[in-house]
Amino acid sequence: MSARISAKTLRYLIVIGLIALWEGLPRAGLIPELFLPSLSSTLIAGWTDAGEYGHALAVTLYEVVVSMAFACGGGILLGAIVGSLPRPRILIMPMVSSLYAVPLVILYPVFTVWLGIGSESKIAFASIYGFLPTMLATAAGIQTIDPQLLLAARSMGATLSQRLVRVIIPAAIPTVLSGLRVGGALVIVGVVVSEMLISSAGIGYLISRYRTILDSPHVFAGVLLVLFLAIGFNAVIRWIEGKAAIWQTGTRTGQANDEIAVNAMQPAT
Amino acid sequence: MQPLANVTQLKPAARAGAIEVKNVGQVFKTRSQDVVALEDVSLEVKPGRFVVLVGPSGCGKSTLLMMMAGLRQQTAGTITISGAPILQPDPDRVGVVFQEASLFPWLTAEDNVEFPLALRGVPKAERRAKAQDALKLVGLDGFGRRHPHELSGGMKQRVSIARGLVQDPPVLLMDEPFAALDEQTRMTMGDELLRIWAATGKTVVFVTHSLTEAVYLADEVIVMSARPGRIVDHLQVQLPRPRTYEMLSGDAFGTLRDRIWRHIRKSA
Repeated sequence: MSARISAKTLRYLIVIGLIALWEGLPRAGLIPELFLPSLSSTLIAGWTDAGEYGHALAVTLYEVVVSMAFACGGGILLGAIVGSLPRPRILIMPMVSSLYAVPLVILYPVFTVWLGIGSESKIAFASIYGFLPTMLATAAGIQTIDPQLLLAARSMGATLSQRLVRVIIPAAIPTVLSGLRVGGALVIVGVVVSEMLISSAGIGYLISRYRTILDSPHVFAGVLLVLFLAIGFNAVIRWIEGKAAIWQTGTRTGQANDEIAVNAMQPAT
Repeated sequence: MQPLANVTQLKPAARAGAIEVKNVGQVFKTRSQDVVALEDVSLEVKPGRFVVLVGPSGCGKSTLLMMMAGLRQQTAGTITISGAPILQPDPDRVGVVFQEASLFPWLTAEDNVEFPLALRGVPKAERRAKAQDALKLVGLDGFGRRHPHELSGGMKQRVSIARGLVQDPPVLLMDEPFAALDEQTRMTMGDELLRIWAATGKTVVFVTHSLTEAVYLADEVIVMSARPGRIVDHLQVQLPRPRTYEMLSGDAFGTLRDRIWRHIRKSA
């Protein structure tokens, strides 16, 4: 018990220490303000242009939410099909696996040609970027369902749809959730990166623009905003995990399956 | 025609719990060849008997059990339970208990036991009451709210048995239910199963690898040969009930176990 509390306290201390360093090092002149502006000047820069950052955040959030709907919805759907039916698996899996090894960001310029430099091209890129791991995780989750559970359900007279709703879906939830965690994080990456490349709005755009005029405090204000976005996303996923999958705790299906899912997301598979 | 129709209607009820396996065969088709898993297996189990199937690995004893459960179709012959052929799983007639890990880990023990009732839309209150009775029968009163990962191996198997019994089928089929348990738990669970069997009067067909377990539990032991699986012996175990630990070292027990072992050694 005491070990756990001290670990938690230690984590807080580390975070506080980093914040202190962020403020202290530039102020003491140990790091030039151009490389790392102090936390306070970053916050002040963000605060004075709050309107601009607010608008950028709204654009980025919109793109992230829409992309997540596409990436996660499509990924879960196709992953379920690929995971449960052997024929589509043979057709699709090798393609998906090879595609996964391709740095998809090379497609982004093409998307801007097709869809313009507005939100549409970001959504298209981020959706595809987050779609693959979600799909692979869902497929892996469905494939790793213990066949004994399905046999038991059948022995109790479960129909095909009852097996799907009462066995396959609940059994796949932990792996699907860990797929959403990775897929969702990649959606955020995809949106911000594409905004930084070619764009006219969003946090990534602001970071990129302020960087070209060497305005470091404004760059870091954008970075901080992306950081909060990622932390917020993580908190949401944790909350869903807590709600939907109480049964993960302490079983083989918990931690172990997360690892399986993460492994399944490696390009080699 | 009227009287005849009455006779066929009466027959199943009168023979509730009887199992008849007639000339049953099972051939698995693989790409290169056909594998004969079971060949011309016939046996009869009277209602309320405790029958154990033993045999070397791959002799098809589990396959035979799966066919009795309606989970797999034989390629030859017929299987009837309670007087009617079994063509698909029928939880009204047959309850099945599998090896470990067939409980749904996201459901509590009582929800697991209620599962077969929920499939058929039995109202919640009735479901709960039946599940409580079944859990009490297997000695798990008060453990209903726990999830499988909070239960020991033996307790999980008790939940499995409760789930198999909750619809009160006349036949309970058990596929190596204690194989994954440690020795002491296994002995205790054997005694528990005999107690439950005596209390409910079910017909039990029990598959195992353990010869000691077979003789200890059974009224009758059916010995099968290696592939293609055939019945090579059908022993009556005349040991008195209730069975006790002391019988394990008795002569009668040893003689029966030796006889089974000789069959298995010959065919393996």
